[in-house]
Amino acid sequence: MKILVCLKQVPHKDARLEVRADGAWIKEDGIKFEINDYDTYALELALRLKDKDASTEVVVATIGPERTTQALRNALGMGADRAIQIADDGLSAADSLGIAKALAAAARSESFDLVVTGLMSDDANYALTGPMLAELLGMPSATAVVKAEFKNGAVEVERELEGGALEVVSAPLPCLLSVQTGMNDVRYPSLKGIMAAKKKPLDKKTLADLGLAAAAVAPRVKIEKLYTPPKGQGAELLKGSVDEQVSRVVGKIKELGLL
Amino acid sequence: MAKTLIVAEIQNGTLREATLELVSIARGLGGDIVSLVIGSGIAGAAEELAKRGGGRVLKVDGPAFARYTLDAYTAAAKAAIKAESPSLVLISNTPSGWDFAPKLAAALDTAIVSDAFKIAADGAAYVITRRMFNGKFDAQLRATGAPVIVTVQPGATSAYTGSEAGSTAALDVAGDSRTQFVELRTAPAAGHDLTKADVIVSGGRGLQKPENFDSVLQPLVDALGAQMGASRPVVDAGWKPHEYQVGTSGQIVTPKLYIAVGISGAIQHLVGMKGSNYIIAINKDADAPIFEAADLGLVGDLFEIVPALTKAVQQAKG
Repeated sequence: MKILVCLKQVPHKDARLEVRADGAWIKEDGIKFEINDYDTYALELALRLKDKDASTEVVVATIGPERTTQALRNALGMGADRAIQIADDGLSAADSLGIAKALAAAARSESFDLVVTGLMSDDANYALTGPMLAELLGMPSATAVVKAEFKNGAVEVERELEGGALEVVSAPLPCLLSVQTGMNDVRYPSLKGIMAAKKKPLDKKTLADLGLAAAAVAPRVKIEKLYTPPKGQGAELLKGSVDEQVSRVVGKIKELGLL
Repeated sequence: MAKTLIVAEIQNGTLREATLELVSIARGLGGDIVSLVIGSGIAGAAEELAKRGGGRVLKVDGPAFARYTLDAYTAAAKAAIKAESPSLVLISNTPSGWDFAPKLAAALDTAIVSDAFKIAADGAAYVITRRMFNGKFDAQLRATGAPVIVTVQPGATSAYTGSEAGSTAALDVAGDSRTQFVELRTAPAAGHDLTKADVIVSGGRGLQKPENFDSVLQPLVDALGAQMGASRPVVDAGWKPHEYQVGTSGQIVTPKLYIAVGISGAIQHLVGMKGSNYIIAINKDADAPIFEAADLGLVGDLFEIVPALTKAVQQAKG
């Protein structure tokens, strides 16, 4: 089986984020980045299939500037076989469909049996790229996948619905799965894996390499401004020493009749 | 001329509240309104939507549409768009909506914005507002081209309550799908039912490690005679079982008192607990979205605040 895992590198969970001067994105200078949480589960799903069948090839792909090399090396260190990095200034303001088109152009020249993505990214939270990529590759897809069982050229997945309900759906391969967090226990790269990763192929591609003109990925959705949500009523933030704050809380709990 | 196509959603044979919220948005924007109802035996639901502001309601009705499937629902939406040439397509951001809407946009090579809570028209473009960075920022986006597809966060606005004259018409679509519905399952029964608790104390990633749920959080839970809950990242990391999870994919809770400890307040968590009677949040980041949902906020180190609060509660009980 040949598997493509699409990863995004996003600001680290604990990074302090500020809006960029033009308002259209965050300041990326001086903050740490990591592989998008959802995507680590996508990679783990692929690596588990490789654990079961050593002939499985796992390819990771990302779009982004030079810094994304680190994310790809990490993925290779976890056990992926090779990486594709699509780096092009023409994609810096791309919308989800532009991103999906670039990934599709890179994927189309190879015949993947399975494509795995995270449900969404922790930065933009769009949850669009996966199903779009599937459509462009002519594959069926399933989103919010929390379990996947492969048999006889097909996959049966559990999709997470609302309020704890799960929907079981079957799909023929090749297909794309967009996975939810928590579906497996994500491995850490081993020291041996990290050493081996340095020698694994990392293929850099531009839009031109993919046969895409800048116009083909021109965005039709643009972020005009990013801002801290307006404060509504919000919480009354307590002031004073911890003891003073705590006694206010206890007073409130008494008032609610719960003490 | 602006024209909005509403893709309705049927749940247990009736229109979802979220669909009537889409009607509110479409009515607010003005222009022509067309709706699409997909399902099996949905004539009654289509009639109802026509009377409740859905305008001219197209019905894709047949056994093949009884359950949501990716290809069949995409085909139905595509057929309605082809027949009507809307400038805007509204779909609820629900498990079926987020499954087929992106595919629809890619198939039509058109703009899409997901999980919006506000939509305004600006000439031929749409200006759309949504959250980003798990609630830390709001973003205003401009989408151009036709149609613009927008998936809308359920609950973003109130349902349309007016009654209007409308009509229904059948639309013929083939219902083939490569993906097939197999069955519905429910997550393992919650032996830890939070829905009936009077007081819930929930912990998040701010507790730093699973042991701290026992050593820091549990004493407060015990002192208050509360039940313990948890945020999604904590459950994903395996620190607490799924039955502790409060949020859209866990339990929706409405206790008299909800105390959120070290939880930043991602939307999916807020949806699960915002119906609580009174909410107290403890977090080190004063900008955390949880403080928007809370009534009372304590900004600081939970490892200092929680033990002090536990002691004060124990003393108050005498």
